[in-house]
Amino acid sequence: MSKVTIPIGPQHPLLKEPVAFTLTADGEQIVDSALRMGYVHRGIERLAQDRSYTQITYLVERVCGICSHVHTTTYCQGVEALLGLDVPPRGLYLRALLCELERIHSHLLWLGVLAKNVGLDTLFMYAWRDREIVLDIMEELSGGRVSHAVNIVGGVRIDLDEAQHQMVVEQLNRLAGRVHKHLNIVLHERTIKARTQNIGYLSAEQMREYCVVGPVARASGIDMDLRRDLPRPPYTELDFDVITHTDGDVWARTVVRVEETLVSLKLCQDILAKLPDGPVAAKAKRRVPTGEVVSRFEAPRGEVVYYIRSNGTDKPERLKIRTPTLTALITLPIQLQGVALADVSVVLSGVDLCIACADR
Amino acid sequence: MAELLSALFTWFVFPGFIFLLLCTWAFDWLDRRIIARFHGRVGPPWFQPLADWIKLLAKEDILSTGINERLAAILPMLSFAMVLAASLYIPVAGYTAAAFEGDLIVVLFLLSMPALAYFLAGWISGGAYGIMGGNRALLQYFSYEVPFLMAMVGPAILGNSWSISQIAQQQTGTLWYAFVQPVGFILAIIGLIGKLKRDPLDIPKAKSEVVGGSLTEYSGRKLVLWHLTMEMQAVLGIFLLINTFLGGAITAMVGLNILLFFLMAMVILLSLSTASVIYARLRIDQLAYLGWRVFAPLALLQIAFVVWMGG
Repeated sequence: MSKVTIPIGPQHPLLKEPVAFTLTADGEQIVDSALRMGYVHRGIERLAQDRSYTQITYLVERVCGICSHVHTTTYCQGVEALLGLDVPPRGLYLRALLCELERIHSHLLWLGVLAKNVGLDTLFMYAWRDREIVLDIMEELSGGRVSHAVNIVGGVRIDLDEAQHQMVVEQLNRLAGRVHKHLNIVLHERTIKARTQNIGYLSAEQMREYCVVGPVARASGIDMDLRRDLPRPPYTELDFDVITHTDGDVWARTVVRVEETLVSLKLCQDILAKLPDGPVAAKAKRRVPTGEVVSRFEAPRGEVVYYIRSNGTDKPERLKIRTPTLTALITLPIQLQGVALADVSVVLSGVDLCIACADR
Repeated sequence: MAELLSALFTWFVFPGFIFLLLCTWAFDWLDRRIIARFHGRVGPPWFQPLADWIKLLAKEDILSTGINERLAAILPMLSFAMVLAASLYIPVAGYTAAAFEGDLIVVLFLLSMPALAYFLAGWISGGAYGIMGGNRALLQYFSYEVPFLMAMVGPAILGNSWSISQIAQQQTGTLWYAFVQPVGFILAIIGLIGKLKRDPLDIPKAKSEVVGGSLTEYSGRKLVLWHLTMEMQAVLGIFLLINTFLGGAITAMVGLNILLFFLMAMVILLSLSTASVIYARLRIDQLAYLGWRVFAPLALLQIAFVVWMGG
């Protein structure tokens, strides 16, 4: 059979993300792949230059639909460093709580997508059903299920009362039991292993070469996590494991993500147990002194980098965002080389693409 | 005149076309409902399959340019006709529209033809996904069909007949063949899953891999005919297994037979639904490996066992 060119995306049932691949298949085997992106470029970095620091918080929340909170966290963290502002501990704890909830949300959503792509609809339904618990918690805390608008420069705008505290603890306990079941399925279900093992392999060297970050890198044995490596409160006061795996294939990425979900659940419980009293935000000045800052944070998909340069006005001169998806994206042609057509969707979902983040 | 009326009744009402259509409706709905409950969903209401058929029938029938229109129209009709023809020879609780010595082979042939038509439908459709889906359908056909056929040989040898009604009849009073040759029964169920392209063997129409497979480019009446063919094939496949492996639910009491027959059909349907819920989709090379390296030798061993036992 001669070679067939198969277009995938930007609108396609195989891949829900707006990115286009042109695959050349020889029978069932992929021999070549080309990537085209930029379909959801919104010019957020340029827009940020025309907005005040307060307004940008709500703008960068729109960078991503899943990890919206981590973008505002990284941004606020950077602006606060420029201002020399000390955020009250309770504010930092609540920020971290939302970050971890978002990580759980992101990983569960991802698990569902992977399960759907390997044809195990049951796990897809379970993962997305359980994700509702997290979404409900986030709605209860912030009023929003996806965009929370929790962060402000100087802290957060929400506070927990006793009833909410109780509710969140109970719901998280319920969720932990469910996630243990998901982990059990991922570790032991043979058809999942048959579909995800030994595909999309990248070695630790290749990971370093392409600067891949996050769970994808950790699945290849690279032990890095900014929550531990670049410790800031409250992570300095919390005890948690960084999950790594050595297999470097899609299955290893799955295991890493599901175990990370459990770590995040424990972190949430710890944060709630140690939640200090006091105010949740400090007053921030509107004008930011001249200077530049690089702010980094561990998003669900890996390291997010914000570069902010201020010129003494209430608007930044430059805001540069680097998201983890971009580095994972450029490894895809290597990962897709030689895999079967059937595995394309599995490999693509293995890196947890967020094209909205990458295009901005 | 009475003879003609009775023949027309068996062909078109029971156990013929109308009865089958109702069964298809019921089984399709039950299947979707069971799977939904496994997923933790509610599932569709009872009239959903009918609503789907009507909706598709009312839709515009579009074909891509360059496609052979006559062939595209004939293939689903041919498949549907094959499946309907096969239904004549498959008894329902002992009632059959027609039977002769050797109808098992005819039925197996008639039920396997839609797979080839399905391949051809994808091949001529002109789309990349259609071609890939068609290819996969053909590869899958070669993987499941041989173990399935070999699994069907067992009951024929034990029953000492190539007639489905005879095989069913032979099991009255003795142990059902599903218990005599459990391996063959399981292989037949696996083969049926492959034949029906259900999860986890929905490789030719895997949505996340080849979009809609062979049927990607089809719509409206042609699509509904394809769906009806598949769904009716599921019903007939289940009926066939009941007759060959579970004694056709024939007991001394006539009223009980039908009840028992549907009970068995539900059990097989439940096992099909369960399989589709608990396994991830296999890759075509994994299925080919299983089909030829595992299922086919097992089926051969089963036949050897049956021959040894019968002889």
